[in-house]
Amino acid sequence: MSIWSWSGFFDYLFNPFILGGVFTTIWLTAVSLVAGLILGFVIALMRRSKLVPLRGIAWFYVWLFRGTPLLVQLIVIYTALPQLGIRFSVVEAALLGLALNEAAYLAEIIRAGIEAVPEGQSRAARALGMTEHQIMRHIVAPQAFKIIIPPLGNSVNGLLKTTSVTSVISMEELLRRTQVLIQEKFMVLELFAVATIYYLLLTTAWDFVQRRIERKFGQSTAVASPQKR
Amino acid sequence: MLLRKVSSAAAVLLASTVAVLAGDCTPKVADSELIKPGVLVMSTNPTLPPLQYVDSAGELKGMRVELGTEIAKRLCLTPEYVRIEFSAMIPGLSAGRWDMINTGIFFTEERAGMMHMIPYEDQAISVSVASGNEAVKTKEDLAGLRIGVEIGGFEETKTRLLDEELKAAGKEGLVIQTFDNFALAYQALRAGQVDGVVSIDAVAKEYDARGDFRRAVSGLYPAPVAFAMKSPALADAVSEILKEMKADGSLAALFDSYGVPMPETDYSVKGPGR
Repeated sequence: MSIWSWSGFFDYLFNPFILGGVFTTIWLTAVSLVAGLILGFVIALMRRSKLVPLRGIAWFYVWLFRGTPLLVQLIVIYTALPQLGIRFSVVEAALLGLALNEAAYLAEIIRAGIEAVPEGQSRAARALGMTEHQIMRHIVAPQAFKIIIPPLGNSVNGLLKTTSVTSVISMEELLRRTQVLIQEKFMVLELFAVATIYYLLLTTAWDFVQRRIERKFGQSTAVASPQKR
Repeated sequence: MLLRKVSSAAAVLLASTVAVLAGDCTPKVADSELIKPGVLVMSTNPTLPPLQYVDSAGELKGMRVELGTEIAKRLCLTPEYVRIEFSAMIPGLSAGRWDMINTGIFFTEERAGMMHMIPYEDQAISVSVASGNEAVKTKEDLAGLRIGVEIGGFEETKTRLLDEELKAAGKEGLVIQTFDNFALAYQALRAGQVDGVVSIDAVAKEYDARGDFRRAVSGLYPAPVAFAMKSPALADAVSEILKEMKADGSLAALFDSYGVPMPETDYSVKGPGR
């Protein structure tokens, strides 16, 4: 076996099959992130609800999905739920597993962000006659959002890499496509170098986006906070 | 003082144990040819009953496991198994993670160009379907179906070939889904997530006999199955043991007990440059 093949490396780097896998990794991340954010926000609000059953359901949800490995969740969704007559395709099962799992983590991040805004501000707003909706919209959410951004960015980075776990249920994302091509010529190092480069490219691109977002929302505070004397 | 006494006693005990274990048996392979001195490290993916599997106590079982253990014994080496996914087998052998692939790797000319192989068993491809499924009888009936297969092996290669053959015949191809191992592929079949699983004859037959999955198609793409080694010296030694086991009848007895037919082979080594 040869030590390193540059031609093999470049062939795989621009291989359409691999690029398709990169694309799948991107949309898997994006769709499960959006779904996870919506669900996570609902769960976070439920955890702060005055209604005990709502709080209980939200607590149970976070407890269940944060307390079990994604790998187990995926295999259960894909190969065990059909036993109960609930059947999801590979893509559905992958998205569902990622989104449900992500929502549990995001719910905690969002909750922490909301709770970091001092209660006194809400009370003051209430005293001014603002409705609960207005308080959330104008007082709590803008401040909470800023607190949420750094851990949220971290979470997206993690999610991007976690999509590789869906390969176990035969989801053809970047890792699985890399593995499929390995048996062709057994260029293990070359192919994994290609996969590594794409993962790094994606996480670096996200890092750049995250910094832009942080800078954008960081500025608003700089303006709002009192000037240093 | 006490510590020294204890340790010297332990040393004596250890030395005598080693002497007893070794007996008059001298390893037939030099330590320099092995990953670990005195040990034959073999890789297997135990998801193929009755050839290689793990019983409910977590013990490795099966025809290939017994054969590997017997070969190690006759070489005066301690057998050791590494349980690993098939996709890691060839990279791991070249990286020096194990001495021998003993997972029923199919013999191909390409593979024999990379490592030293000894064909010792014949296997062909089978397709398992759900036990109630009577619709699939020939390979043409597989057109358009979702087929699960273990990633990275001969089975995957042949599944893709079957897909091409169906398309070339103007039929619908297969929807191929690759899994990390056969256990998960069969799990997906049980769940109805795939319509069939491509496996080897002996495994599909075993599941059929157990009443788990019906063996709908068998005997496709027959090919020899081999041991694969990095060290040519180790390959030669294993080849000699297999010839010896054939001559004394123990190999035929083992194959017979698992209902696996003995192949037409001289157990010679096929590898780079030979």
